[in-house]
Amino acid sequence: MGEYAHPDVLVETSWVEQHQDDPKIKVVESDEDILLYEQGHVPGAIKLDWQTELQDPVRRDYRDRQAFEELVSGKGIANDDTLVFYGDKNNWWACYAFWTFKLFGHRDCKIMNGGRQKWIAEKRPLTREVARRPPTQYKVRDRDDFKIRAFRDQVLRHALEGKPLVDVRSPGEFSGELLHMEAYPQEGALRAGHIPGAQGIPWATACNPDGTFKSADELRKIYEGKGVTPDRDVIVYCRIGERSSHTWFALTYLLGYPLVRNYDGSWTEWGNLVGVPIENPAAGKKQKEKQAAAAGAATK
Amino acid sequence: MSGAFDEGDREAIVAHLLDHFEHPRNRGPLPGADVSQKGGNPGCGDILHIHLKVEDGGGAGGGAGNEPGAERIAAIRFEGEGCTISQASASILTEIVGGKPLDEVLAMASGDLVDALGREVVVARLKCAVLSLNTLKAAIEKYRQMKTRRALGLDEPGMPEPSGPPWT
Repeated sequence: MGEYAHPDVLVETSWVEQHQDDPKIKVVESDEDILLYEQGHVPGAIKLDWQTELQDPVRRDYRDRQAFEELVSGKGIANDDTLVFYGDKNNWWACYAFWTFKLFGHRDCKIMNGGRQKWIAEKRPLTREVARRPPTQYKVRDRDDFKIRAFRDQVLRHALEGKPLVDVRSPGEFSGELLHMEAYPQEGALRAGHIPGAQGIPWATACNPDGTFKSADELRKIYEGKGVTPDRDVIVYCRIGERSSHTWFALTYLLGYPLVRNYDGSWTEWGNLVGVPIENPAAGKKQKEKQAAAAGAATK
Repeated sequence: MSGAFDEGDREAIVAHLLDHFEHPRNRGPLPGADVSQKGGNPGCGDILHIHLKVEDGGGAGGGAGNEPGAERIAAIRFEGEGCTISQASASILTEIVGGKPLDEVLAMASGDLVDALGREVVVARLKCAVLSLNTLKAAIEKYRQMKTRRALGLDEPGMPEPSGPPWT
């Protein structure tokens, strides 16, 4: 039987509703669909647009320290606030926001288990009212880009040394079959496949259908079953690092792995990067089929 | 179409988008459509299908000699799923282009649609905002390709064999 390694980091919808009048607990909504908040949100929730507010608009990176301080101060968030993140898509973007706030060293962050989906399914109150808060003096000591974040060269070395990599994309993306969906515009990467040696463990495997995380025992079976164990240095990735932050959260806080890093460059970087090794099972398969067809034709 | 909203009128823009998302216009299949086109943003899961009926405007017996400028959108419907902005954009677009000549639609700039949606809000998700227009333009190109191929007597792959010229 197992409890989560850090059970207090995952809170239930009932807990959030009970604590809605606590001024030191601030709920933050982070969604993929950027107009969901306007359609109704958890009372008191602060809207966070991970794309326009957390990302640097010029460089492919997160905001710098000063911009982050201004952003968070403007939202009325204080350094000693407990932040509870939630959102759509099984909390993908909530986990991404959580990860980003941890990058900047925010002490107390939580995830509301089940996200928007569960809150709505339980018919808890939604509001369109936006709470106004006076700005604060939020301070960041420094951004730590080493503890929970991995960069291209580190990932290459990691792969060449055969260390554990977790690819959390869909099986079609992992196998190289999916670079673009038929009739849909190609997007993101010039090459398909995965980083050599990576284990394909889709992020959704960590979730139940209602959006909540699976139990510690179930999670352990899933990841340890593929050789991704707590004694190792693990790097997770997807397309842009948002689905993988969901897995990063599960491994770090639910299973207590001491060293998990999110490779936010992910496949949009690796699949476009000149010269790096790529494993593409689908291409290998196509090649074999072509050879078999040619051999078949030759014998006729 | 530009300047549809006053600057700073965020609430009105959001209300307009939510209205089209919750009560979409022209949503549904289009039996007897001349062309259907799929479009999507695989990165975020937005999907749109645009269905068109085209009125040639050249009268009966049009065929290869028909003036392309006379083609108009006789009917347009959309189906799909995805984020609020992508779906609301499709609903708003179908109201803008109904009855318009195909060439005019092809000449529509993304910026015009963005202004009609409310630039201040949708600028956060431009790809989602213009998916509808990109898919519609692709539908029109596909329609014209199909028409040209028919006129030249070529078969489209996957299309049933034509039984003869369709315009006699």
